[in-house]
Amino acid sequence: MRMRDLTRSTPLRLAGAFALVFVLLTVGVFGFVYVATTQAWIAELRTVFADEAEKAASSDEDRLRRSLSLRLTRDFRRLNYVALYDPEGALVFGNLDRRPDIPVDGNAHLLEDFRAAPGSEPEPTLLVARKRPDGGVVLLGRSLDQVVALRRVLRQALSFAILPLAAFALGAGFFFARRMGARIREIDGAIGTIAQGDFRTRLPVRSGVEELDGVIVSVNGMLDEIERLLGQLAAVGDNIAHDLRTPIANVRALLEQALADAPRNERLRHPVQAALRQLDRAMTTIEAVLRISSIENERRHSAFRPLDLAALCTEIYEFFLPLAEAKGVAMSLVAPQPLHRQGDADLMREAIANLIDNALKFTPRGGAVRIEAGERDGRATIEVSDTGRGVPAAEAHDIFRRFARASNGAELPGGGLGLSIAETIAKLHHLELHVSDNAPGARFTLAERSPEQSAGCIN
Amino acid sequence: MNESKSAPVYVCEDEPELASAIQKALSPRYQVVLSETGAEAMRAARAGQALLLVMDRKLRGADGLALVESLRAEGIRTPVLMMSAMGAVDDRVAGLQAGGDDYLVKPFAMVEFSARIDALVRRLSDSTETVLNAGALSMDLIARKVRRRGRDIELLPREFKLLEYFMRRPGQVVTRQMLLQEVWNYRFQAQSNVVDVHIRNLRIKLDAPGEKKLIVNLRGEGFMLDADA
Repeated sequence: MRMRDLTRSTPLRLAGAFALVFVLLTVGVFGFVYVATTQAWIAELRTVFADEAEKAASSDEDRLRRSLSLRLTRDFRRLNYVALYDPEGALVFGNLDRRPDIPVDGNAHLLEDFRAAPGSEPEPTLLVARKRPDGGVVLLGRSLDQVVALRRVLRQALSFAILPLAAFALGAGFFFARRMGARIREIDGAIGTIAQGDFRTRLPVRSGVEELDGVIVSVNGMLDEIERLLGQLAAVGDNIAHDLRTPIANVRALLEQALADAPRNERLRHPVQAALRQLDRAMTTIEAVLRISSIENERRHSAFRPLDLAALCTEIYEFFLPLAEAKGVAMSLVAPQPLHRQGDADLMREAIANLIDNALKFTPRGGAVRIEAGERDGRATIEVSDTGRGVPAAEAHDIFRRFARASNGAELPGGGLGLSIAETIAKLHHLELHVSDNAPGARFTLAERSPEQSAGCIN
Repeated sequence: MNESKSAPVYVCEDEPELASAIQKALSPRYQVVLSETGAEAMRAARAGQALLLVMDRKLRGADGLALVESLRAEGIRTPVLMMSAMGAVDDRVAGLQAGGDDYLVKPFAMVEFSARIDALVRRLSDSTETVLNAGALSMDLIARKVRRRGRDIELLPREFKLLEYFMRRPGQVVTRQMLLQEVWNYRFQAQSNVVDVHIRNLRIKLDAPGEKKLIVNLRGEGFMLDADA
């Protein structure tokens, strides 16, 4: 599969979107943890420190000193700052020589780059200062080093995790998209074969998706039923054909018998001969209908062999050449290269012969019929063009319908039958037959369908 | 096989009208025995006492195709003309594969039928000669030369094949359908009179001014090589 196809496939786009949402959610969760843990903790500390500062400011000096000293002795990790300054601002007790530059308002303040001593590392620190009744100032503080460490850990965790996570999500998406795509293409291919009329094909089960398998099983069940009905229909057709031919054969034999028994009876001869002609005419039509349905139903792909379409054209051209000469029609052939394809040679001969026969039939003396066999854009193409009366544009679409005949050719017998048969044979070979204006005359083109349409059917 | 010309043609057909019409058509030239179920025909063929079998594919109580198959399996080569009301693309193939020598789809013209019978019977006497003669016409199959009364006649390969088909069946009715099938190997019915035009062209080459027509048209039937011309 090419990359361009891949990006266009819906499953992959879904997988990509899934990976993106997955990554965004992860980042979001990390962000929430990041903010929630640090901010909430700081907010909590602010309140606690404000309360403690208030309590410290109002208690007497001895008790204050004891509690501050206790606070220091318990502080194994040296995170806390305590200080008591006299009204002049000199340190009375504590571990901060110089009073930090914060408002003395009893509110906790966060200093991002607080240095406890001139040479020490700056670190975020929460500080609160409050005036005592004696004019001194009590100060409490706490380094937020842990918060910084936590933030760093979170950031590192996120950056370590996010890349493998995204890669995994995309990889998984890619894998499932590919697998799904392959399965769906397989199913699509089978549907294509069925759409071409091969009702023996079934969709592949085991798509890997349970719901899809359910649908496939149902579709296959439906196909079983269609095939059974088609088989029944074909059998009915065969029986009708058989039951029709038998009495007609008897009638024909009886009429011929009557003629043979009374060779000199003029009153009998004419009507019987007329009856035989009408019977044969009816049989020609019936024969064509039966033939079309038998070609359609039997789908003789098994009889397909390598053949050279150009050689077939040459052969049929030579077969009809004396007829063209006798009619005074200039018939020419252009088939310079062999055109190797798979097919049923007998049927292809019949299709080509019907097209040439049709062209000769509708081309008047002095006209021309041209047969061309070659490749156009790699597609095998056989073209039979004439300078006859042409096919009215309005009827071009209908001309291959069974037994249609262009309104201006109505007086010529059997016009539509051959074309209908040719079209049926074309379809069996994955060829398309269409008619266009040759100005003047008609041009019948038998052309291979686009390579994708016929892949695997014609090499 | 020791069939002789006097041995009867067995007609296995369960439609009485058709069977009797066939009998009437063949009786001037052949001895005809009707065999509705095919049993008598099978016995005669096994005993080497049948000139030819006409076998309908679907007989009352028997499958014509299976009967022919079993004959061929026993090594009996009596010629068989299969007849059938089944005319689908593969039916003919099946009939010939089972061992039929020819296959006619119903309905057919009686001339077509009797021409096929004649062709099958004469096939027994098909020679391995390399020079064919009919009246004043001689045809050298090796040198690919045709002469009529000492005059060389140049023929195209297809014309040669066409003439050879007639030369092998002098005095015998040859239908358009037979020519299409045997000379051109075509399985379709030509709608136009192409075969007639081919014969006309061949005739122009064969008949010098004043000479009798070698290949004659039989109105409504086909063509025939006049061996006396």
